[in-house]
Amino acid sequence: MAVDTRAAPQPAAKARPRPKREREEEVLVWPDLVFIEFISAVLFTITFLMLSVFINAPLLNRANPEQTPNPSKAPWYFLNLQELLLHMDKAWAGVLLPTIALAFFAAIPYIDRSREGQGVWFGSKNAVRLTVISAVYAVIISGALVAFDSGDRTYTENLTRWIPSCNGDAQHQGTPCLRDEGDDHIGIVSTKDISKRLEFSIPWPNALLADDDSNLDWPEDLDHIGVPFNNICGNIGSFHLWCDMHLNIPSIMAEQVIPLSSIAFFAVAIIYVLFRIGWLRTKRDLFIVMFTAVLVAYLTLSMVGSFFRGEGQNLIWPWEIKVDEG
Amino acid sequence: MAVTEDPGKPRNLSERIQALQDRAYNALFHNYVWQSIFRSGYPNTPRNQMLVVATNVFLHLHPTRIHRTHVKITHTYCLGGLTFFMFLILTVTGVLLMFYYVPSVERAYQDIAALETNVKFGLLMRNMHRWTAHAMVILVFLHMMRVFYTGAYKPPREFNWVVGVILLVLTLVLSFTGYLLPWDQLALWAVTVGHGIGGSAPYFGDETQLIVFGGFEVGPSTLIRFYTLHVIALPLIAAVFMAVHFWRIRRDGGMARPL
Repeated sequence: MAVDTRAAPQPAAKARPRPKREREEEVLVWPDLVFIEFISAVLFTITFLMLSVFINAPLLNRANPEQTPNPSKAPWYFLNLQELLLHMDKAWAGVLLPTIALAFFAAIPYIDRSREGQGVWFGSKNAVRLTVISAVYAVIISGALVAFDSGDRTYTENLTRWIPSCNGDAQHQGTPCLRDEGDDHIGIVSTKDISKRLEFSIPWPNALLADDDSNLDWPEDLDHIGVPFNNICGNIGSFHLWCDMHLNIPSIMAEQVIPLSSIAFFAVAIIYVLFRIGWLRTKRDLFIVMFTAVLVAYLTLSMVGSFFRGEGQNLIWPWEIKVDEG
Repeated sequence: MAVTEDPGKPRNLSERIQALQDRAYNALFHNYVWQSIFRSGYPNTPRNQMLVVATNVFLHLHPTRIHRTHVKITHTYCLGGLTFFMFLILTVTGVLLMFYYVPSVERAYQDIAALETNVKFGLLMRNMHRWTAHAMVILVFLHMMRVFYTGAYKPPREFNWVVGVILLVLTLVLSFTGYLLPWDQLALWAVTVGHGIGGSAPYFGDETQLIVFGGFEVGPSTLIRFYTLHVIALPLIAAVFMAVHFWRIRRDGGMARPL
């Protein structure tokens, strides 16, 4: 019916090749794109139909609030948050870090406003090696951080076993010691132990302390420090703000300062190194490193949560996982 | 549409069959009713091929023409489209599951168990729903990676990237709310972990638990909340954002292309 006029022969006089017009680089959506979409939809339908024929969705026993399975795990895409919960303050692990990550993702195009390198895979000069390096780095660092923290098989436990057990009766511990709950002496199992089990005292002028025993005892002298003006109470709606607020310094150290500064240190370190060797030059490069590292760390922690956490969320090998369903 | 020159009288058998086929074809596709549904003719000419995309509500999200680099599979691996296709499968299988499911603590588990054993293709529908849900989460991540590594978030597509991040969150929340519905041990305790994470929000921890989970522990009110969110609220919100997402692809000049 309608004749394709684009195919009309050019006058012979204009033999010099001219740059192709935009229109000539285009194909029709029907059939070229619709066909691809249709085929991929069919392939995926068949694949999932087959998968569903052969593999059944899990259905365990009826939910029982009295029986806690050990370990109980979140869905795999939230297991990384559950993993973070073991290492740091729950507000940071569960809410603040994920929110920061998502806000960072959303902000990327508003900070990197360059238009270069779009529409092709890894369009900038060092994109591929930056991606590979930051992915490998994220796997190694997040894996190593897990191997050093939280679990009674961690390196840290081994390395800190020399710290003596605390004398239960002494008023001041003096040199650092670890308080043991059972009969066996174990080293530092998790960073959280720094505020929960580690104890020591140093001589300190009386005037600066609430108690007058001439000793600064970790953690009990520091776990209830009043915030300035905390006698002022305010409400916004139903939220109580700034009322009787106290800081637990040992817990802030163990669950916020140490884990967060570790993350920040390793992030800044790789960015600094890549910058100094000249591979990281633009905001796009910076974001390639950060985006890759965040995504790969997310995946790695999910893997750790899925395959390396057993009873009591202890670090174990995948073939040792047994779930006690309560 | 039926522009056919007069073939004259059929001479032999094959011409008779040909004539019969043409008549049948005309009767089927060139009749008044068919043409009231499909305004354009069979898409075998460029004009009709463009018309079929432009006049069909399902196809009109596409432009009528597209740059030839964009139909290369390796350019996108169809990841965004497949994510949307997973959403469609989930909608269909989800509606079928809803026929047999009552979101109450007393009945939920037993309904799922009965669905698996007593309902024809019930187990298959549930399996499909489960595996495509996981696939949607994976695909939405892969799609985000594709967009990032091809630099497709760059101007003028900044806002569509933000819409995409919102859709990522919606996908995760959709999947998570669905996780509770079978009301088995896996569901209860996975959501209990999430309940604890929600409760750890600074200042708003209690409010999060009360508003999102309906209480300070996972129970009947959590189930009905998650059910309502899962089957109506979140799919609707996600559909609105998807509409914006697809619309903006075209408004922002189609898919990203080298400058």
